Amino acid sequence: MDFNLSGDQEALASAVDKIAGAFAAKPTEFHDFALTGGALERELEDGDYFNIATVPEWGPIGAVMAVDRLARCPYAVETALSMLVRPHLPNDAPRPVTLVEHGRPGRFVAGAKTVLVIDGDNIGIVYPSGGDTQRVESIFAYPMGRLVDTVTVEPLSISEAAVVRQWLQVAIAAEISGLIQAAIASTVEHISQRKQFGRPLGSFQALRHRMAECAVLAGGVKWLALKAADSAAPADAALAAYHAQDSAVRIAYECHQMLAAMGMTLEHPLHLWTYRLKALVSELGGRSAQAVSVAAGCFNGGMDTD
Amino acid sequence: MEFVWDNDQRTFRRTVRAFLAAHLPKEWETLAHGPATEWQSAFSKRFCAELAAVGLLVPHWPAQWGGRDADAWMAFILAEEMWAAGEPRGGQYMNVNWIGPTIMRFGTPEQQARYIPPMAQGMTLWCQGFSEPESGSDLASLRTRAERDGETYRITGQKIWTSYASEADTCFLLARTSPGRNGISVFLVPMTTPGITVRSIPSLIGEGDIHEVFFDSVEIPSDALLGAEGQAWDIAKTALSLERVGIPRFSFAIRALHRAVKTLQRLQRFGSGAMERAAQARAACEAARFYSYSIVDRRRHGLPIGAEASAARYATVLAERAVSEFVVEFVPEAMSGSDPSLLAHHQRAIVAGIASGAAEIQLNIIASDLLGLPREPR
Repeated sequence: MDFNLSGDQEALASAVDKIAGAFAAKPTEFHDFALTGGALERELEDGDYFNIATVPEWGPIGAVMAVDRLARCPYAVETALSMLVRPHLPNDAPRPVTLVEHGRPGRFVAGAKTVLVIDGDNIGIVYPSGGDTQRVESIFAYPMGRLVDTVTVEPLSISEAAVVRQWLQVAIAAEISGLIQAAIASTVEHISQRKQFGRPLGSFQALRHRMAECAVLAGGVKWLALKAADSAAPADAALAAYHAQDSAVRIAYECHQMLAAMGMTLEHPLHLWTYRLKALVSELGGRSAQAVSVAAGCFNGGMDTD
Repeated sequence: MEFVWDNDQRTFRRTVRAFLAAHLPKEWETLAHGPATEWQSAFSKRFCAELAAVGLLVPHWPAQWGGRDADAWMAFILAEEMWAAGEPRGGQYMNVNWIGPTIMRFGTPEQQARYIPPMAQGMTLWCQGFSEPESGSDLASLRTRAERDGETYRITGQKIWTSYASEADTCFLLARTSPGRNGISVFLVPMTTPGITVRSIPSLIGEGDIHEVFFDSVEIPSDALLGAEGQAWDIAKTALSLERVGIPRFSFAIRALHRAVKTLQRLQRFGSGAMERAAQARAACEAARFYSYSIVDRRRHGLPIGAEASAARYATVLAERAVSEFVVEFVPEAMSGSDPSLLAHHQRAIVAGIASGAAEIQLNIIASDLLGLPREPR
């Protein structure tokens, strides 16, 4: 047990931080939902960052750190599935990698090169070509799209599907981790500046305590995502996904409540993180499905603290 | 960054588990062992002496004081295993965690020679004289007075909600030597000193746990002062920082949760509602575990520990709450005698956000120091 970053991990964190820092601000004229980040995506492609997890010095922990950091940008780029799930897909699957569940619209589907299709316990894979996907208008702050009904889905085996589902859980947890940190930071900035009754909103204990609880939850989400990446254990992935989705529900609500009417505007960037969180809390069946997964992983055997 | 135990840590954990298996009474899981009963205190003295005899009571203490300079991880693994077993050390965990180390840091050679060896041998119990009827979270407002009179101090006042007081040998007492925040001092006071009266307060936590302690012109020698006059705030902050992450309550919570789930599975009552709540509780425990580990890791690397310790403590409060509420809702029969171990956990869990400082104080620290929110005007 040692939580110090290695020299290689430090270097990676610093490099990703530098890239993300260049995309830290929402364009002032953008008043919409899905702020896509083509330039950011190209930088990540050029630097081969989507293959972080396959580099032994960085591994899945490096990928979680990168997904977490990049999710704090206001720009939406498909990073999590590419960095954390793609290494476990057959045939060197091309990216962007996306997810469609039960025929519903999914994030980044319209531009996807690989689509994972979940139907009940089964997971299949689609490599869409022109006309196989359609863009969908949505309040979620991701570019949303759907697969046309006529595509051919190649089923994954049960064992392949289990591995893919596990890494989808880690990917979602890592992305939620970054999103909730950004939402909290944005909220803290607002309530530190806006004054009512002659003092900053953030000096009122009723608000301070709620934000402090959010901060505690956010820290836990990050630790569990990192642990799940390191252990590659199904139980850890399930716990990480459950805690992330559970915390996301609470934190998205609290941040909007703190920003009040300002958070209802599309001028303020808060929705870019909270309406990504709201998209993520339903993925992989949401909390109730993660609970079944936690029960299978944690409550059917021992309870060792390894 | 890695999340695996090394071989020494695994071996040490196995050693502690083997010790527990060999030394806890066979009926341990079914005993209603409140943390501060007369029985528990007597048992803890025997148990801690046995721990000390095999070097498992204070392994993280300096060799000079009976330890073997084990690192912060070993101390925490030991604490995890003890709490997972329902903390058979009773109130002596305080000696190990913070009273001993605080006296090592601030005590005179005479105080160290008098008080540390019995702690290292597992032979003594302390209580913590902090809270008063009018002073809880606002500790700096305490009123118990210590008036200097030549070579003695005369102590007058009252402490309340004092754990272990009826069985304790010595009190780690905060008392006022002059007005103001910097006018509070620490005294090491034998509980047999004339003028001390202890009255047990019936409580939800269990028999004999909390007390009122009255000091009626209690005369103690001036060498009972720990550190300098007025230094209590520094000393107490050191003590509390050790205490906040020294109690891995989550390990007892995880044990209780698994025990409750096993009961529900056996009775075929582990349906989807229970499953979701159990997952929520298990995830909260796991978050508390790794939060706490991150503090231990910082300590191990000699890094400063600030508000992160408060976050770890609060994560533990959330975990304890989730587990105890799960048990009450899904295994309510445990509150009525079906499972004393779950009841014992519940009675400990309900103080998680209260003992060693109210959780709301931790939230204030997190808001100011982790989030950087503006402070509330005073």
